[in-house]
Amino acid sequence: MSTASTPPNPAEPPAFHPGLIARSIAFFSGSVGLGIKVALLAASNALAVWALYVLATHHRWPALGVLVVATLLIDWVYLAPVRWTLPAKFLIPGTVFLVGFQIIPILFTIDVAFSNYSTGHILARDQAIAAIKINSLQPPANGRQYDIAPARDSSGRLVLVMHDETGGKVYLGTPKGLTELSKSDVTIGATGQPTAAKGYKLITGAELFTLDQQLRDYKVPTSGGAAIQPQGTAIGVELKPTLRYDSKRNVFVRITDGKVFHDNGLGSFVSGPDELEPGWKTHIGFRNFSRIIHDPLVRKPFLSIFVWTFVFAAATVFSSFAVGLFLAIVLDKRGLRFQKLYRSVLVIPYAIPGFLSLLVWAGLLNDDFGVINRVFGIHVPWLFGGNVFSWLPFISWPRIAVVLVSVWLTTPYFFLVSMGALQSIPDELTEAARVDGGGAWQIFRRVTLPLLLVAVAPLMIASFAFNFNNFNNVYLLTGGGPYNGASSIAGNTDILISYTYKLAIASGKGSDYGLASAVAIIIFFIVAGISGVSFWRTKSLESLR
Amino acid sequence: MSSSELASTTAAAPAAAAAVKHPRSRLKFKDTWWRHAVGVVAMCAALFPVVYIVSSSFNSNSSLQSAQVIPSHVTLHNFGSLLHNNVKGNTGAKQDAPYPHWFLNSMLISLLTALATTVLGALAAYAFSRFRFKGRRGGMMGLLLIQMFPQFVAVAAIYLIVLNVGEVFPQIGLDKLAAVVIVYLGGAMGVQAWLIKGFFDTIPTELDESARVDGATAAQIFWGVVMPLAAPVLAVVALISFVFTLNEFVIASTILQTTSHKTLPVGMQLFISNSYDKVWGPFAAGALLAALPVAALFMFLQRWIVSGLTAGSVKG
Repeated sequence: MSTASTPPNPAEPPAFHPGLIARSIAFFSGSVGLGIKVALLAASNALAVWALYVLATHHRWPALGVLVVATLLIDWVYLAPVRWTLPAKFLIPGTVFLVGFQIIPILFTIDVAFSNYSTGHILARDQAIAAIKINSLQPPANGRQYDIAPARDSSGRLVLVMHDETGGKVYLGTPKGLTELSKSDVTIGATGQPTAAKGYKLITGAELFTLDQQLRDYKVPTSGGAAIQPQGTAIGVELKPTLRYDSKRNVFVRITDGKVFHDNGLGSFVSGPDELEPGWKTHIGFRNFSRIIHDPLVRKPFLSIFVWTFVFAAATVFSSFAVGLFLAIVLDKRGLRFQKLYRSVLVIPYAIPGFLSLLVWAGLLNDDFGVINRVFGIHVPWLFGGNVFSWLPFISWPRIAVVLVSVWLTTPYFFLVSMGALQSIPDELTEAARVDGGGAWQIFRRVTLPLLLVAVAPLMIASFAFNFNNFNNVYLLTGGGPYNGASSIAGNTDILISYTYKLAIASGKGSDYGLASAVAIIIFFIVAGISGVSFWRTKSLESLR
Repeated sequence: MSSSELASTTAAAPAAAAAVKHPRSRLKFKDTWWRHAVGVVAMCAALFPVVYIVSSSFNSNSSLQSAQVIPSHVTLHNFGSLLHNNVKGNTGAKQDAPYPHWFLNSMLISLLTALATTVLGALAAYAFSRFRFKGRRGGMMGLLLIQMFPQFVAVAAIYLIVLNVGEVFPQIGLDKLAAVVIVYLGGAMGVQAWLIKGFFDTIPTELDESARVDGATAAQIFWGVVMPLAAPVLAVVALISFVFTLNEFVIASTILQTTSHKTLPVGMQLFISNSYDKVWGPFAAGALLAALPVAALFMFLQRWIVSGLTAGSVKG
């Protein structure tokens, strides 16, 4: 199996020696192959039927329709006796996943980027209105109090047996409402607490304390939008709504002073600076993008991150290329001893999974206990430090550390690539230049480097595009930090992709999916631009033939 | 990414071999000492973290402050406490680190993804390489375009999709390994398919033709003729995909939430961050165990990988 090291020359077909793999594959491709195909198709259909059933029980009708059409289409492609579906047979398996987890996320990203989807704006509008109503419940000044006793009914559901001391009546409270109980069925203790109720088992002792959270969320609705809520395990307080929803005018009105909260069109009810929580999810046009340009709270960190992302990627690629090329030139000398040893050792940083190297480097560079500072007898705040020069706020120690480690990780790649490219430059060319009287530097500058760049430049562009989104190199080393102030999501070493990640998932300050998706779209345009330049340069579209 | 690039860079490998085998004209040490000096310095830089990880993993004192090149007292204690999830953290209390789980999760996810990616990619590559059909050019252009959008950039959308799918199908919802694999497969038609297509293009179609004359179907030609010939390239593609998946952090950290469901990058990051000083020894042991198999495989397949990476530039 040496086909990879010496690619077959199209002129002479490679000899075909059926090895073990070939023979086993050939075995599986006859009627056995047909059996496998039928079995796979049957399995996917069975899976589809099961999924249909689940979707139906959840009443997800649009998804169900899509699944039915897709399944029938796939069956038809694989079973129809027409020849022109042949390419589709090979393309469908990958395309299913491509559509589901590459194309749909992209479309969804675009949709979310134009919405206010974020913590506090997750619900649909009517759900948000219901939530606002519940949130507005407050105990009124002269609200009624009840002595309550949590109990279980005959089927084990949690209910409240309640005693209204002023009215002298007893009630049963459930999430459905309040029903009066016959006084003779309930025993009232000396403190006014119900101590027994016919047909209900009062909860006592340790079990009572496990109900703490459940009771806090328990609400017994009464008339006019009011509700009774347990405060602790012994007292229930009647709460009254402080806001009233006027569905005709589409506003919330504060009952006490008549203040009107109107729909601001951005997913919230507002009155001046006051906003009712929660809001709802809605499309807000280009507002996420204009926040990046106009909102100083977003613009300042974004600009800094934007510039740093370019600097990080460029510095990593150029430094790695420079070091890698230097090493290749120095060590690629015919007849040099230990050449093989140098080569295999220098590739090691590339062979170790990157995430491990990064986590290890984070330890070695640790400001307080790190090995680097100890070995070199220095006190550099590599990961948590500030600016290197007080007059140049752009360069900080953590940024230098991120670039250094990235160069350590990337150099082997450019070392190998440069070595291969150097060896493919014919000796005759440099020889001729030498005969013509060129010095070593001149030969390198005028002959070797231009020829080398033809091969390496596209790889440098690709590497730039990769490092532009090199989340791991930043996040696993510094976590994007250090942070200027506790309030900021953006850290000193954050690049665009790690900033997006924090906005969406991991800031600990709520998620802003809308803004995160807007940044993702900006990243897309930048990377598409870089890749476009690369394709244009290498004309790799030629292989579309 | 083109086939010519793959071919040209692969051609460099035998050239390197030839250079080594060239009848050795012994170079004088006084002319080459500076080359060796550079080589030794570069080797020290490359090996620096490796040496510290190996020694720290065997060092009886497991704090970062006491990390040194030669362990003060060689012991397997770090490995034992890590594998038995019995690591003492900052406060002296046990720090939960189900390393074997992380390891297995990572291997399972990466292996499945690598295998499926290679098969799906090869299937698509075969269609693009051998068939001429309506929409072929457009399809390939479309693939190129879509691949410019790295999957993890859409992390917010992917999270929301998995969250919503999980409400109906908890089997592939949040916190499930299967969800991670399925999401990763969204990228199967990308760079890898292009790489494989480039190689398929170099396999002469005469082979297909003769098989077809013998009555073979397209599927039989694919599995019986093209795939065996491409086996080495497929192995490299699978390994590149494996390493890439193993390193993936964004999507894995977003979908997997229970500590024992996490993958190695996410778990190890969680384990070591904020307690570098105390759990350095067990961490080093874990890093060594995880790095060894991958690094060994990498070194073994090195000369093929370099050409593959050159063509695809997946890593670095």
